[in-house]
Amino acid sequence: MQPSEGLMEVSVIGGYLGAGKTTLVNHILRQASERVAVMVNDFGEINIDQSLIDSRSENTISLTNGCICCSLVDGFVSALESVTSFRPKPTRLVIEASGVADPGAVAAYGHGPGLALDAVVVVTDAFRLCEQIADPLIGQTVVSQIGAADVIVLNKIDLADNLTAVKTELAKLNPDALLAYASHAEVNLDLFFGREIVRTSDPTSHVGKFESRTHESSQPIPRAALEALVENLPPEIQRVKGIIRLAEAPHVAMVFQLVGRNWELRALADRNNSPDGNRLVVIGPKGSVPMEWDNALRSGK
Amino acid sequence: MNPALPFAQAIAVRGDRILGVGTVEDLAQWGDHELSEQFNDHVLMPGFVEAHTHVMAGAVWEFPYVGFYDRADPTGRTWLGCQTIASVVDRLAECERDLNDPDQTLVAWGLDPIFLKGERLVAKHLDQISTTRPIFVFHASGHLATVNSEMMRRSGIDRYTPTPGVAKDADGEPNGELQEPAAMSLAQDGFAAIGVAMMSPNAKWNYAREARNCGVTTIADLGTTRLAMEGQLEAWRQATDDPSYPARVVVAVGHSDFGSENQDSNPMVSLAVRLRDEEETAKLRFGIVKLVLDGSIQGFTARISWPHYVNPPPGHPGNGLWLIPPEQLADIVSSYHEAGLTVHCHCNGDEAAQVFIDAVETALQRHPRWDHRHTVQHCQLTTTAQYKKMAALGMNANIFSNHIFHWGDQHASITVGEERAARMDACATAQREGVKFSVHSDAPITPMGHLHTAWCAVNRLTASGRVLGPEERISVAEALEACTLGAAYQLRLDHDIGSLEAGKLADFAVLEKDPFEVSPEELKDIPVWGTVVGGTAHVAGSK
Repeated sequence: MQPSEGLMEVSVIGGYLGAGKTTLVNHILRQASERVAVMVNDFGEINIDQSLIDSRSENTISLTNGCICCSLVDGFVSALESVTSFRPKPTRLVIEASGVADPGAVAAYGHGPGLALDAVVVVTDAFRLCEQIADPLIGQTVVSQIGAADVIVLNKIDLADNLTAVKTELAKLNPDALLAYASHAEVNLDLFFGREIVRTSDPTSHVGKFESRTHESSQPIPRAALEALVENLPPEIQRVKGIIRLAEAPHVAMVFQLVGRNWELRALADRNNSPDGNRLVVIGPKGSVPMEWDNALRSGK
Repeated sequence: MNPALPFAQAIAVRGDRILGVGTVEDLAQWGDHELSEQFNDHVLMPGFVEAHTHVMAGAVWEFPYVGFYDRADPTGRTWLGCQTIASVVDRLAECERDLNDPDQTLVAWGLDPIFLKGERLVAKHLDQISTTRPIFVFHASGHLATVNSEMMRRSGIDRYTPTPGVAKDADGEPNGELQEPAAMSLAQDGFAAIGVAMMSPNAKWNYAREARNCGVTTIADLGTTRLAMEGQLEAWRQATDDPSYPARVVVAVGHSDFGSENQDSNPMVSLAVRLRDEEETAKLRFGIVKLVLDGSIQGFTARISWPHYVNPPPGHPGNGLWLIPPEQLADIVSSYHEAGLTVHCHCNGDEAAQVFIDAVETALQRHPRWDHRHTVQHCQLTTTAQYKKMAALGMNANIFSNHIFHWGDQHASITVGEERAARMDACATAQREGVKFSVHSDAPITPMGHLHTAWCAVNRLTASGRVLGPEERISVAEALEACTLGAAYQLRLDHDIGSLEAGKLADFAVLEKDPFEVSPEELKDIPVWGTVVGGTAHVAGSK
């Protein structure tokens, strides 16, 4: 779902050198079911089938599926400007952070005009993770990156023989992040594109049976009532997102995001495109999504 | 600085080169000549060579200065330091009155809140200057900016703005301080201004004027200009081809500067090679590649070895940041090394220096090569063992001596502690271990001025007046050599510049006093008349 017409959702892909960020970007470009713009450091690494290329210029490649690949040749802010001015406008922006960057710092740009930050996805190398964390040179970099993640893609599980140790390590470093398992960075894109959810407990079932329910209402909701709703959310619910208006500041549309057990509320940067009323999508395993939210939202209690 | 003839009476110039050095009688053997007595009362020394600065040093002067210390601009005008919030406001109000277009953003630079006593400068102070014109004040650190309410209004910054780094007061309202690029970029008109100014021809001119004013005849712009960007090479050519452009410039290719994608390997290698082989002129030189491996010590982002930082801010992760993955460095260095280029790598911390030294060793094992002159830039915490290794590998050091004066007190008390602060920027160790070295300002991070930088290396006095690490002091002669031949060597230009001898380019610093006659404490106070570049005199402080 889109928070509102014309707004670009932002996913940041971070992770240490060699974890599989570019592989994930390539996967996204092949699998995307929406118009995705990706910003990458280096075109050379992007592996696009020639038959998929619609046109290319010095700094951009347009694909036949509507996706766009944009390089950071002229700097981050300028690439961001050119991406946001593409027409028809992409619905999602995927930013590939460099292998040593703090993806949280890159995500700070995801609140800019016309943008709505969705999730920070950090790709990790299951085969090398424990070794990397213990490395005196890069350990802290890897740990900080994992700490910034909303979603951790545990990649190369086909190579790892110590998956339990890796999972324990990750749970220690970032207990709130969603964990997705992958080899060759092949993950269900709906995971971080906010449609469905992969459960964290079972690496064998990549996509469980999930349902989502959209709740809509028109009256601004008191903050305390919203907090109570979140408080009483069944533990199976891993993802809630949407746009609401608080009774305390009814003129400002707020983006609500819940990933794992973390949630946040922030103003929608693009005031000109803010919808009225409340619209929240709740995602969880079948049967876990509460019905009573509709009423609670509507009554504002 | 010619060891065979350290002092002389006269110098003969033909075209842009030195014909000879000696007595007037000696030089008369070259035949008919015209004897100039213009500099009879001055001291000529080899033009200073500043191997680590940035063209931003010229760009910042597009905007008014509101820093704490007095600072001379490229025209020689001294801007008095703003030592209170009131004086910052007065300075900006004065500049505001000079702007004709009421919509034009007022941009200023150099604010350093550490030095301003009392409350912090915020939007409400800037609102005293104007409530209708946007105002954007860059801090000296480059990491922060303070803006007025009108700038926030136009940029849509308010209490609901979620971007991290938009500082808010106790009531949740933004106070005007924008921390780090993501927040600063929201105030687009102000944030973009310095980047735009950097590309302008005027910035290139002011950069050379600033050099001229302090006796510098060759400046290196270390990895700032995006040479892959269309028009930038031409802009440098246009400036430096002008006979009145008062400096030689070495423009280093920045490694992070991404090029065209149609390359099998590192695209910056072919760019750097092409520039060196095809685009050099007498006053525009290439062949150097700049890498940045870690952050800064005072920002707690330099990679330093155990026991790391002595007194880091709350929440600090313990060590600094890598800007290049350490295990990738050997491949990156090798790609430039094999192409015959010289790599200058920013390493403030000793852990970063070690990774670079190891990368150079790997590159040398893969591709043995003599006389590469790869240089550790900043080289602030490099240990004796590392200097020995650098000497063995043929590496150079460019040492950030100005830190001793500007941040030495903070390094002793907050960042690395007394013992390591006393051996920071270790010129005496470099000298003793046989590493060829230079010293630098990193302008505009600290003001350009090799007499001041040499003074730092000779005296090691901090801002509070203490001597930090007396064992690492070097002599005036050693410091002046570092500022001339030492820097020329690591830029691969010592055959052309760095000393006064027959055949070299006629580049002189023209001083009002002899650096060997004044006391070492007075070195920084010697007035500079100007320079001679390729036989052409350029007087300090002129347009």
